[in-house]
Amino acid sequence: MFTERRSRSFIDSHVLSRLASVPLMARRPMQGNVSGRHASPHRGASVEFAEYRKYVPGDDLRRLDWRAFGRSDRFYVKEYEADTNLRCCFVLDTSGSMGFGSTGITKIDYAKKIAGSLGYLAVQQGDAVGVTCVAQNVVRHIPPKRNAAHLMLFCDVLEHAEPKGETQLAAVLHELAETVRQRALVVIISDLFIEPNILRDCFQHLHFRHHDVAVFHLLDPLELSFNFRRPMRFLDMEGGPAIFAEPNEIAERYHKALDGYLTGVKEVVLESAIDYHRISIDESYEQRLLQFLVGRQRAKGVR
Amino acid sequence: MTFLQPLLLAALPLVFLPLIIHLINQRRFQTMRWAAMMFLLAANRMSRGFAKLRQWLIMLFRMLAIATLLLAVSRPLASGWLGLAAGGRADTTIILLDRSPSMQQRGEGSADTKLATGKQQLVQTLKLLSSGRYVLIESSNNQARDLETPDALLNLPETEPTSAAADLPAMLQTAYEYIQANKSGHTEVWICSDLRQNDWNAESGRWQGLRDSFLELPQGVRFHLLAYSQPASGNLAIRVADVRRAETADSAELLISLKVTRESGVTGQPDDSRTVVPIEFEIEGSRSTVSAEFVGREYELKDHRIPIERTRKRGWGKVSLPTDANPADNDFYFAFSEPAPRHTLIVADDPLSVRPLQLAAAISPLPSAKNEAEIVTQDQLNSVEWQKIGLVLWHSQLPEAEATKHVETFIARGGQIIFFPPREPGSQEYSGVKWQQWVESPKELVAETWRGDQDLLSNSLSGAALPVGQLEFYKYCQIAGEIIPLASLPGGIPILGRLTTNHGGVYFCATTPAASDSTLASNGVVLYIMVQRALNAGAAALGDTRQLIAGQASTEESANWKLEASTDAGFSTEYPFHRGVYSAEDKLLVINRDAAEDQAAVLGDERVEELFNGLDFARVDDRAGNLNSLIQEIWRLFLIAMMIAMVIEAGLCLPKVNRVAGATA
Repeated sequence: MFTERRSRSFIDSHVLSRLASVPLMARRPMQGNVSGRHASPHRGASVEFAEYRKYVPGDDLRRLDWRAFGRSDRFYVKEYEADTNLRCCFVLDTSGSMGFGSTGITKIDYAKKIAGSLGYLAVQQGDAVGVTCVAQNVVRHIPPKRNAAHLMLFCDVLEHAEPKGETQLAAVLHELAETVRQRALVVIISDLFIEPNILRDCFQHLHFRHHDVAVFHLLDPLELSFNFRRPMRFLDMEGGPAIFAEPNEIAERYHKALDGYLTGVKEVVLESAIDYHRISIDESYEQRLLQFLVGRQRAKGVR
Repeated sequence: MTFLQPLLLAALPLVFLPLIIHLINQRRFQTMRWAAMMFLLAANRMSRGFAKLRQWLIMLFRMLAIATLLLAVSRPLASGWLGLAAGGRADTTIILLDRSPSMQQRGEGSADTKLATGKQQLVQTLKLLSSGRYVLIESSNNQARDLETPDALLNLPETEPTSAAADLPAMLQTAYEYIQANKSGHTEVWICSDLRQNDWNAESGRWQGLRDSFLELPQGVRFHLLAYSQPASGNLAIRVADVRRAETADSAELLISLKVTRESGVTGQPDDSRTVVPIEFEIEGSRSTVSAEFVGREYELKDHRIPIERTRKRGWGKVSLPTDANPADNDFYFAFSEPAPRHTLIVADDPLSVRPLQLAAAISPLPSAKNEAEIVTQDQLNSVEWQKIGLVLWHSQLPEAEATKHVETFIARGGQIIFFPPREPGSQEYSGVKWQQWVESPKELVAETWRGDQDLLSNSLSGAALPVGQLEFYKYCQIAGEIIPLASLPGGIPILGRLTTNHGGVYFCATTPAASDSTLASNGVVLYIMVQRALNAGAAALGDTRQLIAGQASTEESANWKLEASTDAGFSTEYPFHRGVYSAEDKLLVINRDAAEDQAAVLGDERVEELFNGLDFARVDDRAGNLNSLIQEIWRLFLIAMMIAMVIEAGLCLPKVNRVAGATA
């Protein structure tokens, strides 16, 4: 009844074993459907006292605090914090631009490693994992689930994700903000070649829906340095018009445009309280994931 | 800009190498699939003004670097000599050197004269340009002479300054003859002169002939004029007009008349400031000074008396001015002696018809001098004491056979002769000139033009013109042959002309003093002055002393000369060209500069251009004392320019601050 065990190119067991020591935590209360290790907005049955509440008919009599009744001659119900699991929704950009990579690895491969590793870790700690592949529209979508079989499906989706077509990430994010149940962890992995103003609307929409949003912004080192010597004809990987450029002539303006864009993105993430990580894909993904997990560890507990 | 290696300029198209490389590079583009198109599109939308300009500047400086390198290896010359060596190395270089006194003018704040500076510049220039052969034609001898190297210009005595005027047309004629005789190939003619009008004689008809001759030469001849035309503002020139020895009751004295002229100021206007100039007289070693105070352009001193020993019948002297811009015209030599006999021989068939001539010749202008005029016929010529005769007035058929011998000997000795036409002109001729028909004019004719600058009809010492225009002519005899007209009737008919001779003076007057022919006798001033001037010249040749203009005597003549005094005497072969006092046999010879040298008139630029019109001609104006070489190699400048261009190009190519680190942070 078990599916055949397959090795995934984007999952490294050694990396996962090292990362497993740091749990994936949500920065905001999550709304899961089973008990877990994340804070919930509701009262529950954990060992952590939350508050007293007046008894109302219909409350479980076992939860009455008789000592409080003895002291005050009034009925009080003792409430405890609830721990729940989370729903982790990965938004994977599979537009044509994600197929770029000048260092032997493409952005889509890098994104798969991040998504695969985080997904595995989440499932391991009982969280539900889902993924939405986005290009011109939603290419593939699987809702968050927490069983091991779903992890296999999750990995299959990742494995078959291919960079193709234009990006319509903004529209999809707005759609996801509405369709995903409130209080989920939304992990966006993309090169974010979208105007920062458009991004701002998306992030604020997600924030409004009480989602905890994390963004992995993947950029190739060549895109950052634009270090060319000879005249180049640049073909748009998303099907746009080709551009002929003399690198010496255009490099300065390219960097100016890039700087303006990065500054804009930075402003947007600060305003939207996004867990933002800009990654050059020649960096070690293990290190960047470790930073991500540790960073969230510090921010946990906010209810 | 001129170049010593002009062939290397053929590589100048290499300047476009960066452009070609750029274009090739453009064609060798790489194609790449690119993700971050939004930044490229944004970059394209941005203003590309400076970036585009920077690219063009980089290209420009690359091209400039190559151009300056090519120019540097072509060995450029810095000069105003446009087109100097564009034709490559000359086979023959002919140097025409003006040694006239005006070339001794010094530059402001410099001890170097125009001539010395010109020689220096020529040496430097010619050494740089190099040539197969160097030929010098200097103004005094006017003969072509080979030079081994241009350096010889500095050492040769034949390039030293003289008092003789230059004759540029004659020098160019010599150059032409040399080129034609030696088939000198590609020839460069360098003329170093101060463009004085009297040296260039721009009105001479010889220029047209020279131009045509040079244009007909098959090989290319290029002319380069090194002009030193700056005026010597305020320069003073002294000239002795007359020296007479007179005896008083108990002693003797010299009566010296002189003239000091001042050159115009910088603006060309006469200087009206009052100036006191000491004039020094030196007579046989004893000196005296007179202060001359003058306003304006000229100062004249008339009959300044200097006592001398009564026993001193003959001697020489000098007047001099303090040193000024041109030392060559600051002194003037003179000689004195007892007046020579002033005998005039009138050859006429009819003594009555020459009575006016006899009167004009016999009346002395000075009470101290005594004139005599003797009338003879052609048959009596053998009995004439020719050695006592100063002037012959020939109113008869032109001399034949034996008479011609007498006349030629007389002329060669320095005698003067004026021919008047006989009533019945014969077929005889003298030196190619003969009388033709008498022409009677229906109404009286008046002289239209006459030479007031020199010779028999020249203006008086005070500058006033002779009243030649008041003369009326009723008949004249046509003259066949080549003569230089001194006065002409309307239509260019010569009424008085001169034959070109080496010595003496031969004049032809186309009419007679007879009342039926002209008013020469009734309006006798012109006739009298004419005859007296001719007599003076003839008597001067007879006297113990001779006044010569520098360059007038030949070098053969000067073989026996002995130097008595001179300021700038050169070698004995050059005596005729240097001012000073010389003795030859029993005569004192005094050589001074030509009167025209005191006139500072310079040829205008347009006139010079006209003279060389149609010829390959380049001119540069230099100044005396100029230490900067006319031309110099400036390849270093071009190398520096190349390096600067490369540094700027490198600076423009430098990438901006590396932003990778900042962007990934």
